[in-house]
Amino acid sequence: MSDFLFEQRNTIVAFLIIGLLVSLALSIIKGRRVMATERTDLVFGNPAKALGGWYWIVTGMSFVMLIWFYFSWDMARAYNPTAANELCQVAKVETAINPMRSQFPLDNPNLRGTDLIARDSAQLERINNSLKTFALDYEAELEIAAILTSLSSALVDQANPAYIKDDLVGEFKSIASRIDHLTTSFKDPDFPGQPTAVQQAAANAQPGWGDTGKEIPVLPATPLGYRYAAVAAEMKVIAKDFVQLRNTNPHLLAQIADIKLRIKKAAASAEADLSLSAVEQEDRSTLYRQLNKMLKRIDNGSIYPPNSLNGVQSSLVAFDQAHSDQQGYLKTFDTWIMPGGRIMAGNSACSEQGSGRWLPKPSDTLGTLARIANPDIGFKDVPLLWYRWQPVGGMIAFLFPDWLASLVPGEYTRHNQDGKINSNFKSKVQDFVTGNYDSFSIPVPMGHMWDSIVRVVIGLFFGIVLGVPLGLFMGLSRFAKGFFDPMIELYRPVPPLAWAPLILTIFGIQDDGKIFLLFMVAFAIMVISARTGATGTQLSKIHAAHSLGASHRQILRRVIFPNSLPEILTGIRIAIGVCWGTLVAAEMLAGTTGIGFVENVARKQSDYEVIWVTIIILGVLGLMFDLIMRSVIKRTIPWRGKG
Amino acid sequence: MKTLLKTSTAAIALALAGNAVADVNVAYFLEWATPNQIAKVEKAYDDAMGETVNWTNFGTGVGMTEAMLSGDIDISYSQGLTPFANAVNANAPIKMIAIAVAYGAADDCVVRNDAGITKANASELEGQAVAVPLNTMADFGFRMTMTNLGVDISQLTIVDQEPADAAVSLADGAVVMACGYGANSLAKMKEVGTPMLTPAEKAAAGISSFDIISVTQSFAQEHPDLVRTFVEVTSEANAAWAADQSKLSVIAKDAGMSEDATTAQMAGFVFPTVAEQKRDYFGKDGIARSMVAFMGNMFATSDAPALADYNVTIDTSFLD
Repeated sequence: MSDFLFEQRNTIVAFLIIGLLVSLALSIIKGRRVMATERTDLVFGNPAKALGGWYWIVTGMSFVMLIWFYFSWDMARAYNPTAANELCQVAKVETAINPMRSQFPLDNPNLRGTDLIARDSAQLERINNSLKTFALDYEAELEIAAILTSLSSALVDQANPAYIKDDLVGEFKSIASRIDHLTTSFKDPDFPGQPTAVQQAAANAQPGWGDTGKEIPVLPATPLGYRYAAVAAEMKVIAKDFVQLRNTNPHLLAQIADIKLRIKKAAASAEADLSLSAVEQEDRSTLYRQLNKMLKRIDNGSIYPPNSLNGVQSSLVAFDQAHSDQQGYLKTFDTWIMPGGRIMAGNSACSEQGSGRWLPKPSDTLGTLARIANPDIGFKDVPLLWYRWQPVGGMIAFLFPDWLASLVPGEYTRHNQDGKINSNFKSKVQDFVTGNYDSFSIPVPMGHMWDSIVRVVIGLFFGIVLGVPLGLFMGLSRFAKGFFDPMIELYRPVPPLAWAPLILTIFGIQDDGKIFLLFMVAFAIMVISARTGATGTQLSKIHAAHSLGASHRQILRRVIFPNSLPEILTGIRIAIGVCWGTLVAAEMLAGTTGIGFVENVARKQSDYEVIWVTIIILGVLGLMFDLIMRSVIKRTIPWRGKG
Repeated sequence: MKTLLKTSTAAIALALAGNAVADVNVAYFLEWATPNQIAKVEKAYDDAMGETVNWTNFGTGVGMTEAMLSGDIDISYSQGLTPFANAVNANAPIKMIAIAVAYGAADDCVVRNDAGITKANASELEGQAVAVPLNTMADFGFRMTMTNLGVDISQLTIVDQEPADAAVSLADGAVVMACGYGANSLAKMKEVGTPMLTPAEKAAAGISSFDIISVTQSFAQEHPDLVRTFVEVTSEANAAWAADQSKLSVIAKDAGMSEDATTAQMAGFVFPTVAEQKRDYFGKDGIARSMVAFMGNMFATSDAPALADYNVTIDTSFLD
């Protein structure tokens, strides 16, 4: 069943998107209609205006889902499953041409040579200016300055068209004509001819877009794809040939050789000069090292006369134009239907970069959720939410402290000579208190989700049970307020993660530490809200109760507590949210199970689908808890805001 | 007003473009002493490249990958092999270009002394809790150790903890064995326990670890000269260190460690020369080639399956 759904997911998504668009439109129409009728009967500011309105929920949900489908490129895949494969071939051309392109002022403002001259001249200048800070005598300084001048002229002379070798000019021409030729082939719809049977078979054998973790099928499978792939292959060779070219003309080589010799000589003479102090020696060797580095950069020969590359550049521009034109509808599709990123040709595969990478497709995310929700697979061998049979004995063992066994007189049993273990009364008691006996089993929920829920619920429970009385007490007693206020106010603003290292050494790696962290968060919020509720009780109500003869306890139970309930319940709602927020941090402490653990591990593997699954699970669980709280609020304090 | 807006927009655009072209952004680790930190402090990289080199420290190799993918980092120095293998499994367009540092003793699995477990009875670990920072080099070392000693990993309760936390858990007795890296954390672990294997035994078991230099594919394509210079300066710094270790204090200060700790850490480090890298690591069936494939397969998941050929993630052209 799930396999069938997975195979048909593109069709399903295609219909779903249409459905979402329709529901978005209809719900907006419905909402506007209702608004038009309501405008007259409710004044602005009446909270009843915010009640109901399911159609706006539909609008919001449809909107969010459409945004998700759109930016994760699920929409693109649903309507054009081969787009990614074709764009992958386009990206191959871009990757192939990139080493050559980056030398020209096409994407960058400057020609690479211009950048290099500016950079190297600036550095020569810097060295020249810094000469004064070195301990140099007059002659050495003169010589170094002279070398710097020669370096500068070697750098500048590369740009002089008088020195460039004729065969390099010929190479440039040949590169340009090769690019031109390729541009012509590019425009030929029949290029490179029919794919061979082998190519076709390989293309058909590869999985579709997103079918496996490899994301995008890399081999061309469409006529357009074959053309781009063939152009990319040829372009790669041309670009490789181009970047290997060097402006190594005889003039430059002679200059380099001369400078090299002079630096070497100067360095040798400085080293031989015993009259120099250690500082002077050190300074000079630093300088000569810098000069050598500059020389090494300049002898690269990667600067050409300013106009020598014009031919290659105009060929590249024409090629770019063809590259852009030949994409046809694909370019529009890429711009408008696959926003927020592009497809990149990587080492061995093409990959989605941009929003397509970090925002997995809803259908794939659902598929991942279905996969790890399968109890046989799970995540790191633990299912998301499942059950297991557990003996009751082990579960109730916590009721009996283990030291009960030690109180029984006698010794614990040992194995005898036959290797048998005969139990005695003491060991039987020990087995009982540790739950180590045969008892019937009952199904118990387990898994990452269950563990997280249990932690949050227990943490919240203790936070409420201890926090509310203390908060009320603090609201009513000067002593309690003065005594507890500093403690709570001091620890409350500290982010939970800051406590993590302490929690770990105090509680260890079991659940208690994580629960305690959640408890601390919930506790502070509950104390504050209960206290605010208690202090906010109208004095007239208390006076009324008092004059009718109510005891202290009655006033507390019948007047103060109900009056602070709205604050307390709001506090619980906030605490639930913050607890879920803290859970990921708590489960990072010592990860064994839990949604936070799943997210932490997935992060290390850059597994964005699983990360989104955990985000969605956390969101849905938080929402569920909040919905429960809303209904509790509705039932217990329907009078709120109406008194 | 309109012109003002236009000029300021243009200025911002120019500043952004200028930034993107001019600077080289390098990721590195703190508390990880390497000779190229001398070059880093003395600005030898800036001098040789002629560009401003910005160094950003990271806590994990995963963080380095994330920053490279978002385009904030061009070169990662000393990224672990495990995060690299995980990244390329997830189709990240990054390449391994050289070896940064090889180390035998930098990560270890330490068993509590009172557990009475040694490599002779290692299977007694089954059913107990062990702390491992998942998907790191230490995780790799852990799996190799357990496989080597015949321990069934599925029978262990594995707790995912950073080494510093794992050391605390080991000291408290919450776990019987902790695996980790980092001089400080390992020292704390060894206070209460003993390493499962000696360095020699680890080497025999095939647990050798090394960190790599990785670059984003687009940076390697667009600025091959800068990448080559980076490798060159690094290997010069390594050679200078091999000849003369007087600048230890520079490294210690930059790494944020005491000089003793730096000496101790660097004693376990080997910085292979370019020739050694080409011969031992990147030759046919070289260590780097086989290890990245091995690790890629080990950490493969259904969402990030292993590559058919890991050689495409390696580019040795910058070593020449």
